Amino acid sequence: MSGDAEGQFGDVGRHVPALSSILRPQPLVELQAWGGTRLVRGKRVLDLGCGDGRFALGVAAFASTVDGLDPDDEAIAAAKEAARESGARNVRFAVGAAQRMPYPDGAFDVVILSWTL
Amino acid sequence: MVDALREVHRVLAPRGILIDARPDSRVLAYAERRKVRGFQRFGVVRTNRVELANDRASDLAIARAVRERLFRRKRHGRFWHRVPFDALADLRHYLREHLRFLHRADWVVDAATRKRYATEQFVIRRAVRFEILEASVPASSRPPTRSTASTRQKRQQTEGARRPG
Repeated sequence: MSGDAEGQFGDVGRHVPALSSILRPQPLVELQAWGGTRLVRGKRVLDLGCGDGRFALGVAAFASTVDGLDPDDEAIAAAKEAARESGARNVRFAVGAAQRMPYPDGAFDVVILSWTL
Repeated sequence: MVDALREVHRVLAPRGILIDARPDSRVLAYAERRKVRGFQRFGVVRTNRVELANDRASDLAIARAVRERLFRRKRHGRFWHRVPFDALADLRHYLREHLRFLHRADWVVDAATRKRYATEQFVIRRAVRFEILEASVPASSRPPTRSTASTRQKRQQTEGARRPG
């Protein structure tokens, strides 16, 4: 992944899997399109189908807490590693299915299905 | 999918927000050459049938959750996302591997034009749509409305009047 395109766009569709989250819009770009950071500011956020944690980590700076849930344990391991590297302390990741979530009733203010449903 | 939405409703606080964002397969995607100013359309990129069906199923699941009054639609919109490539060959490679798109674009320029600009930068421009929904308040935790309260009061009065002694 290199070249001029990367410099201009910040991400590039070269030699990476077609479903890679690298090729999705940047979290802040997506958040702005939805209405801005006020949607998640100070809120308890669940990123359902979080994959490698791209979006969850992107909104962690604004949210009170962010939980990421995904059935793919490898993706969750990558997400946990990314969280460690980023130093985000308000983010947790867990392996699980959307049909039976390991959270109590009313645990979140915002649930995000970003490229999930 | 509806099961998952019911579960989402359970973990959301009353009047919590559900954001559903995904590629908009109802709108065509485009392969474009990057110019000094703007982009030149080279082709149309279509979504495969399976993904179109999946997207319809997702739409129906949301519609059903709204019908079941789990959520109330608040706002929706769409934005464009560009996936950049260093050259036309990279774009083609990407399409060959892609699970959502058909593996070949429908070109709107001739082969000579594609060859002439093959080493320039390209993008796939695709639509992403989003919808913001609000979780409804469960009936059990709703405060009684004036009409329900007054109805209950009248019923109690009637029952009291019927009771002997």
